[in-house]
Amino acid sequence: MSRTFFITSSPHVNDGDSIFRIMWSVVGALLPATLWGFYLFGMPAVRVTLFTVAAAVLAEAAANKMRGRADTTLDGSAVLTGLLLALNLPPSAPWWLCVFGGAAAILLGKQVFGGLGHNPFNPALVARVLLLVSFPAFMTDWAVDAGYLADAVSSATVLGEAKTFLMTPALGALPDVDYLDLFIGFRAGCIGEVSPLLLLAGAAYLYWRRIITIDIPLAFIATVFVITTAAWGFAPEKYLNPMAHLMTGGLMIGALFMATDMVTSPLNTKGRWIFGLGCGLLTAVIRLWGGYPEGVSFSILLMNACVPLIDRYTKPRKFGLAAPAKGGG
Amino acid sequence: MGAVENFTRGLFKENPVFRLLLGMCPTLAVTTEAVNGLGMGLATTFVLICSNAVVSLLRNVIPAKVRIPCFIVIIATFVTIVDLVMNAYLHDMHKTLGVFIPLIVVNCVILGRAEAFASRNNPLGSLLDGLGMGLGFTGSLMLLGSVRELFGNGTIFGASIFGGGYNPVIVMILPPGAFITLGILLAIINRLASAKRAS
Amino acid sequence: MKDISRMVLVLATVCLAAALGLSKIYDMTKAPIAEAMRQEKLSAIKAVLPAYDNQPDVDAVDSGGATYYIGMNEGTVNGVAFEVSSMQGYAGLITAMVGVTPAGDVTGVRVLSHAETPGLGAKFTGEEYLSMFKGKNLSAAKWAVKKDGGDFDQITGATISPRALVGAVKAGLEGFSRAASSLGIVKGGE
Repeated sequence: MSRTFFITSSPHVNDGDSIFRIMWSVVGALLPATLWGFYLFGMPAVRVTLFTVAAAVLAEAAANKMRGRADTTLDGSAVLTGLLLALNLPPSAPWWLCVFGGAAAILLGKQVFGGLGHNPFNPALVARVLLLVSFPAFMTDWAVDAGYLADAVSSATVLGEAKTFLMTPALGALPDVDYLDLFIGFRAGCIGEVSPLLLLAGAAYLYWRRIITIDIPLAFIATVFVITTAAWGFAPEKYLNPMAHLMTGGLMIGALFMATDMVTSPLNTKGRWIFGLGCGLLTAVIRLWGGYPEGVSFSILLMNACVPLIDRYTKPRKFGLAAPAKGGG
Repeated sequence: MGAVENFTRGLFKENPVFRLLLGMCPTLAVTTEAVNGLGMGLATTFVLICSNAVVSLLRNVIPAKVRIPCFIVIIATFVTIVDLVMNAYLHDMHKTLGVFIPLIVVNCVILGRAEAFASRNNPLGSLLDGLGMGLGFTGSLMLLGSVRELFGNGTIFGASIFGGGYNPVIVMILPPGAFITLGILLAIINRLASAKRAS
Repeated sequence: MKDISRMVLVLATVCLAAALGLSKIYDMTKAPIAEAMRQEKLSAIKAVLPAYDNQPDVDAVDSGGATYYIGMNEGTVNGVAFEVSSMQGYAGLITAMVGVTPAGDVTGVRVLSHAETPGLGAKFTGEEYLSMFKGKNLSAAKWAVKKDGGDFDQITGATISPRALVGAVKAGLEGFSRAASSLGIVKGGE
């Protein structure tokens, strides 16, 4: 890279941030949840993670070469994308699915748009949704045959069960769930989504490092909570308890780590509140009334698409200028 | 412009799908299988040839101010003929293509050729232009359909390519797969075209 | 003025010619289209009924809001086909053709239309899955998927679509057993 000298007026503050530092910090913040996934689901989960991350990194290197760009594989963004995708895959995913997903995340999710910073959608989520609609049988197979959870849980997720009960009135009332187990993370699911406790700890670290802000997760989770509470209040035998909604599925990892992606979320606070609200609204609507049991991925992607619009309408007023006249033009 | 040029223009240089980017609705919607692409392409080709010929014959009769309604009536007539005939003799194909057969009426390629070519050229040239454009359209749809069917179902024209153990990438035969495939094919073709121009 | 009358004249002539041409084509294709529609229905009936030598869609009986297509071999009724449907699927309406013997044993099931998830619920249209219905009848089988304590397999990762289909076939069979007495009139030919 050639050195560039910027000439700007003082004062200059360098906070030392770089892509490298941010990306590896997020990877670090995800480590507890990742290790928990390894512990719960055993070697298959480790294999899924390795294959996905490796595919993402190789795809990044290949794309850089093809486009004649400087190598960006070490800045951590490809590793992070691969890791985020792996954490959103079921532990039983076959190796070729992981490779396909990792490569698709980088190539279709990021590089076709021009690389890091130009992608309108969260690359890991693009790949996850691509895999979900392409290989639904593999992506909804929660069977675990190794690790702590081997044979300990049924092959259905809480949300999957809830949706089945919702769509088949004849089955009667929902079974009970243990909230403490859910909060710590003893359940079937994707590798990295199962422990709200560890995900919150990781996010707290990122918040303290000022890499993520609190507005998106807060708006996201609160909206889901409010809507599911309303539904549950009307028909508790039909809808899942709102606490269970918060702790299951991909809500925590989605709200804390994917919706907060700097590239694909709005620029300022007001925009981020709108963004989080939209994500929460869509997630709740899909979970309660949609065809899929889980809607976090879809809702974040849909709101990603709205980010340019949100940014346009939440542009802050320039300092010292009056508000533009209404109906101007 | 020679007769050969009239015919070949639509095949590659001004291919309606990959170079002019016209007729995107059927291109994206019906190319889930190669055979659907072929059926849709041939139906469109028929309409294109007939409407081009008729428009060209009537080009000195139709007043400029009512030319678009006249073209549309002519095109819609041939589309309805295709619709009825396919329903009678290619019933399964007609059922698969469904609403996209009547929608050939609004395919921009057809009105585009009527307006840009047939209304200014003689019937023979217009006929060749319609044939070339139609075959170019058919070829593009078949290419798109083949790629989508290959990855989305492991077959081409129903013949198994990848064998039974293949796990199809279902997204390829869903609407998003159409956009992804079209995008990738366009990128490849643009790359080839620019390489050709450079050399 | 001359300009406008010419426009009107040309447009009207074009429209008239189009209308005349189309009415001709419509007449020519009317019978083949009706025949194609009939063959489509017959092929579904044929797939679910034992071999017959009559025309089931002609020898059809309406009873209890459903149409029963009667299949006969050498003058005796050997099968009855009817359409069933369910809105309990994952996405929209599922319709299927069911064939039974006069005694009520299922001879075949074909899914006619559905909007289930490709690659998941949609697997229930395969012969492999549908052959499970063969030989089952109302009294000797538990009409529910295994997950609900019945006799029918679900598909890995997809319980809702099979559950809807099994329910629809069951409801169809119940309708058939209620209608059987009125169908009995047809037994042995008209």
